[in-house]
Amino acid sequence: MVDGDQEPAAAPEAKVPVGRSPGQLMWLRFKRDRTGVISAYVVLLFFLVGLLAPLIAKLYGNNPYTVYADERPELFDSAGVPVQPNGGISGEFWFGLEPGNGYDVFTKLLYGIRNSLGISLAVTLATVLTGIVLGVAAGYLGGRTDFLISRVIDFLLAIPAQLFFIASMPVVVSLFVSPRDETPVYVRVVALISVQWFLGWMSLGRILRGTSLALREREFIEAAKVSGAPPGRIIRKEILPNVVTPILVQATYMLPNFVTAEAGLSFLGVGLVEPTPDWGQMFSKAATELVMQNDITYMFFPGVSMIIFIVAFNLLGDSVRDAFDPKTAR
Amino acid sequence: MGGKRVMGKGGRRAYAALSLVAAGALVLSGCSEGGSKEGSNKDDKENAQRQQSSIDFGDAKASTGPATEVPGAKPGGAVTVLQRDSYAHLDPGQIYVSDEMALSQLIHRGLTGYKATGEDGKKHEVVGDLATDSGTTTDGGKTWKYTLKDGVKWADGSAITATDVRHTFERLFAPFVANGPTFIQQWLADTPGTGYRDLLKDGPYGGKHLPDTVLETPDAKTVVFKFKKAKPDLPYALAMAGYSLVSKAKDTKEKYDKAPMTAGPYKIQEFKSGKSMVLVKNTNWDPKTDPIRHQYIDRFTFAFNKQYEDSTKAILDDSGANATAVSFNNEVDAGNLSKVLADATLKSRTVAGYQPYVGQIDINLTQKEMQDKTVREAIAYALPITPFVRAYGGTAAREVAGGLISPTVSGYNPNFDPFGKKKKPAGDPVKAEELLEKAGKVGLKLTFGYINTPEGQQYSTAMAAGLEKAGFDVQRQEIPAETYYDQVGKVKNNFDIYHTAWGADWPSASTVIPPLYDGRQIQDGAANYSHVNDPKVNADIDKASTITDPIKAAEAWNKINEYIVKDVVSNIPTAYYKQTQIAGSKIGGLVYDDVIGGIDPRRLFVK
Amino acid sequence: MLRFLLRRTLGSLVILVLLTVVAFLLFFGMPRDPALLMCGKTCTPDALANIHRTLGIDKSIPEQFWIFLQGLVAGRDDFAQGPCPAPCFGYSYHTNEQVWSTLMDRLPLTVSLALGATVVFLFVGLGTGMLAAWRRGTLIDKSFTAGSMVLSSMQIYFLGPLALAVLVYQTHLFDEPRYTELTKDPVAWFTGLMIPWVVLSTIFAAQYTRMARSSMIEQLQEEHIRTARAKGMSRRYVFFRYAWRGSLIPIVTILGIDLSSMLGGAIITEYTFGLPGLGHLAVESVQFSDLPLLLGVMLFAAAVILLCNIVVDACYAFIDPRVRLS
Repeated sequence: MVDGDQEPAAAPEAKVPVGRSPGQLMWLRFKRDRTGVISAYVVLLFFLVGLLAPLIAKLYGNNPYTVYADERPELFDSAGVPVQPNGGISGEFWFGLEPGNGYDVFTKLLYGIRNSLGISLAVTLATVLTGIVLGVAAGYLGGRTDFLISRVIDFLLAIPAQLFFIASMPVVVSLFVSPRDETPVYVRVVALISVQWFLGWMSLGRILRGTSLALREREFIEAAKVSGAPPGRIIRKEILPNVVTPILVQATYMLPNFVTAEAGLSFLGVGLVEPTPDWGQMFSKAATELVMQNDITYMFFPGVSMIIFIVAFNLLGDSVRDAFDPKTAR
Repeated sequence: MGGKRVMGKGGRRAYAALSLVAAGALVLSGCSEGGSKEGSNKDDKENAQRQQSSIDFGDAKASTGPATEVPGAKPGGAVTVLQRDSYAHLDPGQIYVSDEMALSQLIHRGLTGYKATGEDGKKHEVVGDLATDSGTTTDGGKTWKYTLKDGVKWADGSAITATDVRHTFERLFAPFVANGPTFIQQWLADTPGTGYRDLLKDGPYGGKHLPDTVLETPDAKTVVFKFKKAKPDLPYALAMAGYSLVSKAKDTKEKYDKAPMTAGPYKIQEFKSGKSMVLVKNTNWDPKTDPIRHQYIDRFTFAFNKQYEDSTKAILDDSGANATAVSFNNEVDAGNLSKVLADATLKSRTVAGYQPYVGQIDINLTQKEMQDKTVREAIAYALPITPFVRAYGGTAAREVAGGLISPTVSGYNPNFDPFGKKKKPAGDPVKAEELLEKAGKVGLKLTFGYINTPEGQQYSTAMAAGLEKAGFDVQRQEIPAETYYDQVGKVKNNFDIYHTAWGADWPSASTVIPPLYDGRQIQDGAANYSHVNDPKVNADIDKASTITDPIKAAEAWNKINEYIVKDVVSNIPTAYYKQTQIAGSKIGGLVYDDVIGGIDPRRLFVK
Repeated sequence: MLRFLLRRTLGSLVILVLLTVVAFLLFFGMPRDPALLMCGKTCTPDALANIHRTLGIDKSIPEQFWIFLQGLVAGRDDFAQGPCPAPCFGYSYHTNEQVWSTLMDRLPLTVSLALGATVVFLFVGLGTGMLAAWRRGTLIDKSFTAGSMVLSSMQIYFLGPLALAVLVYQTHLFDEPRYTELTKDPVAWFTGLMIPWVVLSTIFAAQYTRMARSSMIEQLQEEHIRTARAKGMSRRYVFFRYAWRGSLIPIVTILGIDLSSMLGGAIITEYTFGLPGLGHLAVESVQFSDLPLLLGVMLFAAAVILLCNIVVDACYAFIDPRVRLS
């Protein structure tokens, strides 16, 4: 790797002799963008927290499934509101206790972040893959394939997304239900991922279609074709490397959107349900009269953490875009 | 074609800094006080005390109108009534839910009714409403004779006659009357279940009538009910809203359900299903014929679709029309409850009391694993009741129950608590685990069907957590709220345990024990949700049903209750339902009536 | 232009028909039998079959679909509840009301919510965005853009309950959100929707601030602007005469998307504030497995989306003559 930090900040591009790949250039530019780097750390922290949630919970000594209202009844009134001020924040329960069943808010938030980010990451991966396959196929192959895929995109874009989600979630979940067992959490997770994926890939698909449509006419593709390379190889070796930039940029914009959309579904009660911790479900708890009238402190933990995450991710997205494409930044 | 976002770098750094400031400001404003400290609930205990005394059957003198004036009452004014559910049924024959029962106190009249004998809504006697007294029997309850009062009229001015009474009861056998109570039909036909319809297949509409050996109307004022077996509870049953009278001349069959003829102090001026309703004074109602009702208010305007939160907030607001607002059936919602009770001025606008319901976890005895009594005992010990109490707003809304008979029903025994639920409402996992080990069933899979409402989700999760501590493997299964009772009411359902609640139809356990625990009543849609079929219970039910002395009967019913809970262990009592209701500051005569199970709408006035 | 509009409309109709097919199949996969709800306490298999018949769900799915499509175009009068003029979506299983009249009943609220919020966030968003672009690099610019970054990262399901808790329950500064018809009581209409408008606008305006600022800056770098400046036109004149017009294109695009999603029913907003508009209706219809109602809301929302797309495309031509309709 090139040691970019030691270079003068003024104009590294001016030093002609060192040959760098576009990826290296991008990395260099990104590292110099302090806001971008800080945001990246914040985002990383969130993912780390999600990944390590069980470990942190173990060290901290509580878990998000214990019904503290029954374990420690002295901390609650009979309606399940923590007796101590500020939602029962104490050395033992850092973020307080959830009104109702009295779950530990700190670990619930950690696990909620873990579940929400995991789902959103999966949706992002699935939509990016679909977007690449269908977008590039439509753009490069053209003709009937292009027509078909474009019409499918038009059609899917006309579906009211949120409405579709809330209507289809129960249907998808019911496909898996066994009469004696609880609906396993993974079923809801798979359902959440699949409905969001179904209506999530079109914008990226469209962009990639446009990009590969333009690439198809370029000389180096023509050259590859003339030299007898099969279409699969051309797509892999010539087209894909050239669409990495829009994919990365789009993906960094898409992920926070999926996070908020997933949270929205859980907020409406069709996502993950209690006792599985989830970011959005905490908002739906926060919107109950019980919380709004008695313990407003509670709503700040999911609220503020989500704002920080989204702001950091958006800033990171801007930095990534700038690093790839310095022209648009000024 | 998305809009491109362009950011200068300096700008971005600034956002990062400002974001922190903004987030900090948010955190600062997010401090809250803790939960409420609860006061005693002495009032409710007193409520319970009085319930144990039984209700008298009043004579002709007690049945004579007008009703005693409410202290301080004056006529006039309009009241807004905020209700959650629109009225699905206005035809008396179809009325069986509490909101419609409360409304029918204002518009419908029956042969008998409950007259409050005090100012606090706690003491009642059954008196004649349209009839001159609560009924006379000379043969221990097989034959009952009623005579209509002079001068009783429908809202259109026509007289109420024995023909109307005959018609009222005959049409209950018609197939379209499917939602109301079925007690008297079954008694007349002397058959349990739905077989009673065979007595008069199409009701009176095909020109057929009940024979004089069943129902006799010798003249325009006299009605005689004749049963094969003694039915000492008839005066209670006749007081149900579902047995209010229907006008023969104005009967429009199915359409009567939206526009019935009425006889009470108010008549329906306008009814928009799902939206609104207006009641105005019925000028043909004569207070001298009515010992029960008043007619102080000029006009009731109902608004539907008001959730508990909505009605509570509107009434708390107390400005303009909200000062004369009330809800007959909405309670103060769980979120606002502790705040309202903590504020003395707000609390003075509330009334509280028991609802007739008793919650219970039914253990489905059709399931093989549930037929082991030790397992059932383990469930009974392990089950935490606190989640249920919490989910509905705390001890002001639910009181941990010991038995299956409500404090509002004769025969209630406050000391009965075989599984120590009152002392250990969060369950006794240690004891339960011992039992489960003894049964050799540690890790037993327990399918818990729960009603998919926010409350149901909340309490079922915590109950499951409590049961798991004792070593059960709980599998929660959500059931849609609208079809919940249909699903758990199936004899072959897949669930091991589920929660149901049942309210007595009148203050006697004869409306609780037989429908819920008689093993011969097990069928799809019947209320024996745990499918208990115990020979001793069945035999005791038969014995208790024939006891005519109310005090002795109450004792007998309670014995069966205690046997079911303690020895059969098919049903685990969870809580007695209570509620707190609130009214605007200009509403007078506000009383919680235990028989109605809510605010008494008949005595309200505008201050 | 006319040909373009005609073609787009036809395309949209095809999409709507396809959507009906998808929605139909989807909802027949619903886990509950709507007839159970109506059957009551003493439900027997006979009664259930009878209700199936009156609901028309005893027929095969293609048959039902065909009947439904016919009803949309020509109306139907085979319902027990009464005639159902075109466009007939049938009667709700749950409320027994005509779906179309229920939709029209709920629409005014949704429209009030959407248009009111749009007016506020367009004024605030475009205003601050342009001001930031005009004063680029100054403290004003930085604080506007920073503020918008944070605000646009907020979610209605956080800001809504927060606003309710602080502004309504704790300080009693505002009324509980509720809807009164504009024609009945304009003041109540305004005060009742104030909080939802403010919350919606806070989140949306921030996006528009960011967008207006960036597209304005982009415009100022375009060659025709530079030429104009080089020819000696004042900065102010160029800014307001030429540049802002060009900057509208991306804004109109996003506005089209936002408006179409709000007019089809802002589900989370209406749910948060308990306002019974189209979005709330959608949630209710899912709760009660109310197929006709759900189909109605869904098709209505899709039609709004398609209509907005056409309007947006048509708008381009008016704003920027360079845009050719293709």
